[in-house]
Amino acid sequence: MKTFLICALAALAVLSNGCDRDNVKVYHVAKEDSAAPPPDQIAAPEQMPTTQMQPSQQPQLQFTLPDGWQEIAPSQMRVASFTVTNANGQTADVGVIPLPATGREIQLVNMWREQMKLPALTNETAVETVSAGNDPAKLFDIASEQPLIDGKFRARILVAELTRGATSWFFKMTGEDSFVTAQKENFLQFLKSVLFVENIPAQISGTGLGSQNFLVPKTNTLVIGGAHSNSSANSIWTIPSGWQQLPPPEFLVAKFSIAGADGASAQVNVSSLAGDGGGFLANVNRWRGQLGLPPFAEADLLPYENGIDVIGSPYGIVDFVGTDSKTGKPSRLVGAIVPQNGHTWFYKLMGDGQIVAQQKDAFIKFIQSANYANARNAP
Amino acid sequence: MLATLLKRLIKIFTSLRLTVILLAFAILLVFIGTLAQVDEGLYNAQARYFRQWIIFGLDLFGRKIPLVLPGGYLIGTMLLLNLLAAHICRFQLSKKKIGIQITHLGVILLLVGQLVTDMMAHETQMRFVEGETKSYSESPRNYELIFTSEENSNEEQVVAIPDKLLSRGGEIQNENLPFTIRVKSFWKNSEPSFRAPMMQNGPPLTTNGVAANFDFRPVAEEKTMERKNVPTALVEIIGANGSLGDWMVSDWTADGAMIRGLEESYAQQQLGAAMVKGIVARLVAPQSVFAGGKKFTFALRPERIYHPFSLTLLQTTHTIYPGTDIPKDFRSRVRLQNPQTGENREVEIYMNAPLRYAGLTFYQYQMDASDVAQQAGLAPLSALQVVRNPAWLTPYLGCALVAIGLVTQFMFHLVGFISKRKTK
Repeated sequence: MKTFLICALAALAVLSNGCDRDNVKVYHVAKEDSAAPPPDQIAAPEQMPTTQMQPSQQPQLQFTLPDGWQEIAPSQMRVASFTVTNANGQTADVGVIPLPATGREIQLVNMWREQMKLPALTNETAVETVSAGNDPAKLFDIASEQPLIDGKFRARILVAELTRGATSWFFKMTGEDSFVTAQKENFLQFLKSVLFVENIPAQISGTGLGSQNFLVPKTNTLVIGGAHSNSSANSIWTIPSGWQQLPPPEFLVAKFSIAGADGASAQVNVSSLAGDGGGFLANVNRWRGQLGLPPFAEADLLPYENGIDVIGSPYGIVDFVGTDSKTGKPSRLVGAIVPQNGHTWFYKLMGDGQIVAQQKDAFIKFIQSANYANARNAP
Repeated sequence: MLATLLKRLIKIFTSLRLTVILLAFAILLVFIGTLAQVDEGLYNAQARYFRQWIIFGLDLFGRKIPLVLPGGYLIGTMLLLNLLAAHICRFQLSKKKIGIQITHLGVILLLVGQLVTDMMAHETQMRFVEGETKSYSESPRNYELIFTSEENSNEEQVVAIPDKLLSRGGEIQNENLPFTIRVKSFWKNSEPSFRAPMMQNGPPLTTNGVAANFDFRPVAEEKTMERKNVPTALVEIIGANGSLGDWMVSDWTADGAMIRGLEESYAQQQLGAAMVKGIVARLVAPQSVFAGGKKFTFALRPERIYHPFSLTLLQTTHTIYPGTDIPKDFRSRVRLQNPQTGENREVEIYMNAPLRYAGLTFYQYQMDASDVAQQAGLAPLSALQVVRNPAWLTPYLGCALVAIGLVTQFMFHLVGFISKRKTK
């Protein structure tokens, strides 16, 4: 009998094995082993070869958003994206896309018709001509005959296309048929409000010397490929005295210049990217490259990991001295990287070593003064 | 009292009636499992009917049948106990029955071996391109949501949450993570689509990370063994001071096999190698959050098994018979390095010549050195099947014992019969 019991227990012991697949596992691995994709696929995201025009060539776009429209971060090739939602949870997507004018817009129309499961057209068919600001635009109204959304609802695409110089601008609204139809009037109002502003700097009020607030314009102003401003006039930072605001070039949210004696100067750049913006190490090494310094390894970042109390970031302030790779002059760089609500803010003070040393405290106070709630539309 | 109960229990377990009942259930289960494969596929049918203790309800021919049946594990275990009990209680050491005893021992070994194999064996895959070194293999069917954080200058901590937990939804917490993961959606199988500017049909599910450039949508679960399900989940990460945002996590972003398949599919659309790389770089870009003063990078990927040694793929050989597509020879030359034992040697793995090392067997499984792969700018790839089966010898031993037992018993009777004839 004893033998029988021992055998039964042994069988149960075997059976109890292998039942740990529901548990969370915690383990340690060497750093290089945890990289997910194969090495030929982990190269930093490179610029897609696109047919888009360079941002610097584009005019600025101004517009007024209808009620219920919310601006969201644009994906690539779009210069602006909006989402429209109603109380029933219906949503529509609006995007603004500039493309080189080819005269073959019928191909795009047919592509959208294909999306709507409709046969291709041989002739371009615009249902009406509408106004996009001061310019006439063709409006294509394409509705599916089959329920394409979740297999229940028919879909509709509204596209306005206008050509300015060498660029065709497409304003496209997509969503459920009934909702897009209901939003058509708002879409046309939005189109009417669009203004193309050539070669003027982004509108930023509150410039000049002295301690002041960094203010954003009351109308929506978009620098193509660059910063989005807020629709309400709220401050983001308190600007130290002696800092002069400059129109931010593409990819920057704000830029300041600090003048010193004998023509020496330093610049403060602020930018913001979705996600981690490539990570702390990559960006620190980008900065080190600007000073002609060799890149850091992960281990070199250890001293920078206690900055959270100072600037609201898990990393501390970096401070490097080198040679400006653009000007060839001795230069110093003080930088900070601050993750906030799914975005990462990059602050850089760079220029003449003496000015940077004098302004370092003011620079930190400037970062500490940030009210990110007022910058919800930053890219 | 206890002795009476045990006696009764032993009587039940040693009864031949139980054997017949269990065999009847086994026949029924095999019949149902075979029919279920039509709708559910081989893997799902195996998991649902044979790798189960109790089956609640059947799905046959698109109809639900409310029936409770013993599963494969229960029938196998009961048969084993039945055989063991009968063997032990009725064991008689006599010459006449030695063949039967050996045969029974062989059957017991087969049953135990199969049970151990089923519960302890692991089949994973090691995929690498030429020049790449791997010290882990990946499950073809199980997935994990991992959060990695830097532990020190050489090591990272990995917290791996199995996909089973994600599929249950709700909130997941772990003492090693300074945040809660709320699973908002989990799709067992999904499909990605690049948010090309003219083809965007709606706002992204979230604007964080990969979702800004890729849409994911649920698709029907794959049933066949040849195709795999690629899970995707929408999760919210909630830190001590509130939400850190919604994020899409998908095996499409971290599964080397699927990424390579996608690259080849894009290449076939004549996108050009540079464009393909650009699109895929957006897909695989790491996603991370900051919490508790640390950076956590996360991904949904195939479950990994780490090994204390590494293999480097040195060269793939992929030859076909001239004028045909019929493969002639697939072989991988790999370098095996084990820092613990100091081993550093080259090995060739090819059909019927697997590498057996550290309790694992590495079989040549797949190879991708096609024109399409080259068109996409991809290096030749080899996939090894990595099998760990601690009971791999038991079928051989079991069958040998059964054969020896039967021959012994037969010979015993034959010799006795011949002897009797002679004496007559």
